[in-house]
Amino acid sequence: MNWQSILSTDPVAIAIPVFVISIIIELVAVRMGWRGDYDWRDTGTSLAMGLGNTISGALLAGSVTGLALWLWQHRMFDIPVAWWSFALCFLIDDLAYYWIHRAGHRIRWAWAAHVIHHSSQHYNLSTALRQTWTGLFGLTFIIKLPLFFIGFPIELVAFCGGLNLIYQFWIHTEVIGKMPRWFEAVMNTPSHHRVHHGTNPRYLDRNYAGVFIIWDKLFGTFEAERADEPPRYGIIRNLGTFNPFWVAVHEWVGIFRDVARARSLKTAFVAAFGPPGALSGETADALRAQWQAETAPPASLPPSAVPAE
Amino acid sequence: MDRLGMLAFSVIGVVALVVLARLFGFARRPQIADPALAARLVAEALPGFRAAEAAVSRDGSGALVAAHDGRVALVRPLGDRFVVRPLEAPIVARAGGLLRVRPDEAMFPETALDLGESVAMRWAGRL
Repeated sequence: MNWQSILSTDPVAIAIPVFVISIIIELVAVRMGWRGDYDWRDTGTSLAMGLGNTISGALLAGSVTGLALWLWQHRMFDIPVAWWSFALCFLIDDLAYYWIHRAGHRIRWAWAAHVIHHSSQHYNLSTALRQTWTGLFGLTFIIKLPLFFIGFPIELVAFCGGLNLIYQFWIHTEVIGKMPRWFEAVMNTPSHHRVHHGTNPRYLDRNYAGVFIIWDKLFGTFEAERADEPPRYGIIRNLGTFNPFWVAVHEWVGIFRDVARARSLKTAFVAAFGPPGALSGETADALRAQWQAETAPPASLPPSAVPAE
Repeated sequence: MDRLGMLAFSVIGVVALVVLARLFGFARRPQIADPALAARLVAEALPGFRAAEAAVSRDGSGALVAAHDGRVALVRPLGDRFVVRPLEAPIVARAGGLLRVRPDEAMFPETALDLGESVAMRWAGRL
């Protein structure tokens, strides 16, 4: 096997025709009555965001590559490209993805870049392509940098990252219900990721996994999809427009507006780096706590109040 | 293929998929059929919001929902879904039975609610 020729390819670019064909198949399936939904305006925005993501990525990737290269030049180990280093890199890259994704939901600065992916009220294969234009500014790539310092070659990390992204495409669908139990136990699946896109308080900030759902189970953020509670997709304040430019920058505008209005340094810091919704009191944790308080069964009655059988 | 050619090819692909979705009929325009639906939509979007009263535009294109605690929320369609906004200092204009409401938020479109004169007047006073 010639690793160098494999790693010199861009797996995402190769996968794009598969993405397009898959979307057409899903459109037909949903039209024929399979579970799922589309809206042409929503799909247009999602695909425009995907296109913009590739453009911004091409323009900005060089700066991260330079930093990665510098770290790799000061690496701890000389890790060769081989099957075992590929497997190890894929696993560690997926772990890094979990924390990048978690940071993307828990820190507003990072959320401003990631919210784009959640801004559709639909959940279909086109949603998978609704990607950020400002990912670099979210700064979560920092979490991946240790891989280069450890000594994983840049092209290997990039290749694993591409495969991770491709894997996540197919899980953005309602057409597939549940996968076999063993698969659901280990892998991220459409069911698990539907939960992640849900705004139901039960589902908020859950299932950050990229490929392996084990990270959520390990770090306490796993939530299974319930048949009696279908996810409501989108964000807490769904956008009032399909304009892709506003979709791309709306949360950044919100941050700068809130920082400008802040009356103290602490408020300004929370506005930028606190959890999303911190200033309005609508964080995921607060919404979940409120929901739990509203749906909790009443406190147990004293024994004297229990009717005799 | 050079980068410009790739970009042009991608744009054509995007347009083709959007047109296909439109041709397949994924272009519904939902309406708010009654106050109960408006109240449910707001309750789902705003946890803790307990609807006390709702006014639905006669053409079903939007609604105002008031909570027991005095808050008021706007519901309007976007594509084939709805969006909800709590109204804090909205821009409001009334002309007869037509109430125009716009939340204090960039890029959120104005919503024209045909409520009838007396209802429009009453809700304008609340906002």
